[in-house]
Amino acid sequence: MKYIDSIRRAGRSLKNAKARTLLTSLAIAVGSFTLTLSIAAGIGAREYADKLISSNVDPDALFIVKDKTVVGGSQPQTGLTEYDPDRLTQGGTTIKMLTQDDVTKLQARSDLSNVRPIYDVSATYVMFEGISKKYSASVNVYNPDVQSDVVSGTLPSIGGDIADNTVVIPSSFAETLGLSTEQIIGKKLTITVQKGLTSTDKIEQTFTVVASVAPSNLSFSDSKAIQIPITIAKKISDFSTQGTPAYQKYFAVTAKAKNSTPDEVKAALEKEGFYPQTAKDLQGFLFTIINTLQGIVAGFGALALIASLFGIINTQYISVLERTREIGLMKALGMRGRHVRRLFQLEAAWIGFLGGVLGALLAWGVGVAINPWLSEVMELGDNRILVFKLLPIAGLILGLILIAMIAGWFPSRKASKLDPIEALRTE
Amino acid sequence: MIEVQGLTKRYGKKKNTFIALDNVSFSIESGSSVAIIGKSGSGKSTLMHCMSGLDRPTLGEVKVDGESIGSMKQKTLDNFRSKKIGFIFQAFFVQANETCVQNVGLPLEISKTKYATRKRLILSALKTVGLEDKANQKAKNLSGGQKQRLAIARALVGKPSILFADEPTGNLDSQTGDQIEKLLFALNKKVGMTLIIVTHDSDLAARCDRQITLKDGKVISDTLKSTAKVQPSKVKVAS
Repeated sequence: MKYIDSIRRAGRSLKNAKARTLLTSLAIAVGSFTLTLSIAAGIGAREYADKLISSNVDPDALFIVKDKTVVGGSQPQTGLTEYDPDRLTQGGTTIKMLTQDDVTKLQARSDLSNVRPIYDVSATYVMFEGISKKYSASVNVYNPDVQSDVVSGTLPSIGGDIADNTVVIPSSFAETLGLSTEQIIGKKLTITVQKGLTSTDKIEQTFTVVASVAPSNLSFSDSKAIQIPITIAKKISDFSTQGTPAYQKYFAVTAKAKNSTPDEVKAALEKEGFYPQTAKDLQGFLFTIINTLQGIVAGFGALALIASLFGIINTQYISVLERTREIGLMKALGMRGRHVRRLFQLEAAWIGFLGGVLGALLAWGVGVAINPWLSEVMELGDNRILVFKLLPIAGLILGLILIAMIAGWFPSRKASKLDPIEALRTE
Repeated sequence: MIEVQGLTKRYGKKKNTFIALDNVSFSIESGSSVAIIGKSGSGKSTLMHCMSGLDRPTLGEVKVDGESIGSMKQKTLDNFRSKKIGFIFQAFFVQANETCVQNVGLPLEISKTKYATRKRLILSALKTVGLEDKANQKAKNLSGGQKQRLAIARALVGKPSILFADEPTGNLDSQTGDQIEKLLFALNKKVGMTLIIVTHDSDLAARCDRQITLKDGKVISDTLKSTAKVQPSKVKVAS
């Protein structure tokens, strides 16, 4: 029997048992549905993570800390450890900080540029020109390497820092203040940091608003924060920590690799007792999370699939029993045993194919329907978390066909071993 | 030419041995029509199975056109059945859910006949049995007689040289049965296909050129019709 004849005949047999075929393939479809969704979610999440990193992190960027536990590989803390002035306890964990010496050392290196400590700036309150109310707002350091979505005003081109007495604010502030985004440009803004209770123990810094920026779904930086120049940030940070153990201690330093690859710089820095993270490390970290989540979903799909395989075996055994005479006749007419086996395996393959396509189509339909909602809930903007690509789905369906054929092997072997004389004697 | 020599078929082992065929020998001239007669349990079905290569004898051999089918490998034997043998059964065994064309096409699929010639062979076979107007009808919509005619079309589509008919009229009323008999004998005479009918219907047997009667696995009589083509010298009665 020719292969194409076997495929057709197998398809025809299934068509003659529509309800049974449909139900068996629906079982496979459940597995296929889950697996398709997990594949789509994996692709979507990875694409999103890629976009996130490439639009936020310079490939040459390094995030340098002094404490290994920050970048993973955290060792359990014994609770009682010897005091180290370079360690700060915050939120229950003790972290080794970078000192000003460390920063100076890093700034002096020839393979690093843009070495910037992360200053901890927290404003007690913020005031705007012409408005008597005091406001609370978070304050960040302006990062010249991150492209912001400017709503009004102007920003220096990427890589250039803003002037010392200027500030960038989120466009949403204008609404709170009852101004238009255009009106807010040029207004004065005063940040007050109060340390003690006396009025002398405070610092006031006044800036001019140069730009308002919109929050971006692809931005790491807190777009709900006021962004101030680094020089002022250092001033405020030094003021608020002066006299405390946290004075001139930094949780981390950002820098860019120069003249060599980030990985080479990373290796060199590790020898010096620093723990740098590259953009690649960050990507790897995100991908590990995504892969784990995807694996869990795929696991459920695989379980559903295993259950459905027993469905195929069962259905095909019944089919062999029902068609004993047909098999007997085919064998009497000279059909080879292995062709009989192939016929039944192809029927199983058809079931796998149908289930696979059904599940994938269903997943695609559901995905297209809920994608906008998911993006909204997860605040991803125009990014889609479920991305359906033809190739992996085709691969999945192919895999399902193969698995179904393996399941169909047992019943098909029974069919191929039927004695035609016995089979035709069945009345 | 079919030569049956010392054919013995035993079932079971030692004490429980059942002898279905006991040293049966005869030969059948190509193009003749032969009835194998006997009561149930006489061994006539086993004889047919051994002669058509569905079953292998315990002893003895069957030669078809000089080739011993007992010594054939399974693959060769399957191929032999597909090319040279046609079967008709009492219960028809047509696929109810398939059309006439699909039913008749089965042997051509098995023998890997080229697509180009399939349609022509199928239609000519359907025409021979008078079912050309039912070509695309499903077999379940046919009457009993039509189903058997469909089975005949399926048996002859591959142009086999030997046609085995196992009680071909057993499930039909006498009038329809008569039509089927006429069709079978017409094929035998016109196409020259060797026709071997296994039956216990003495009327049907009487229309064949030759009647071989079995009892308890042995040939008890082998008679020729007066108008038979087969020469008496070719007939060998088992001792």
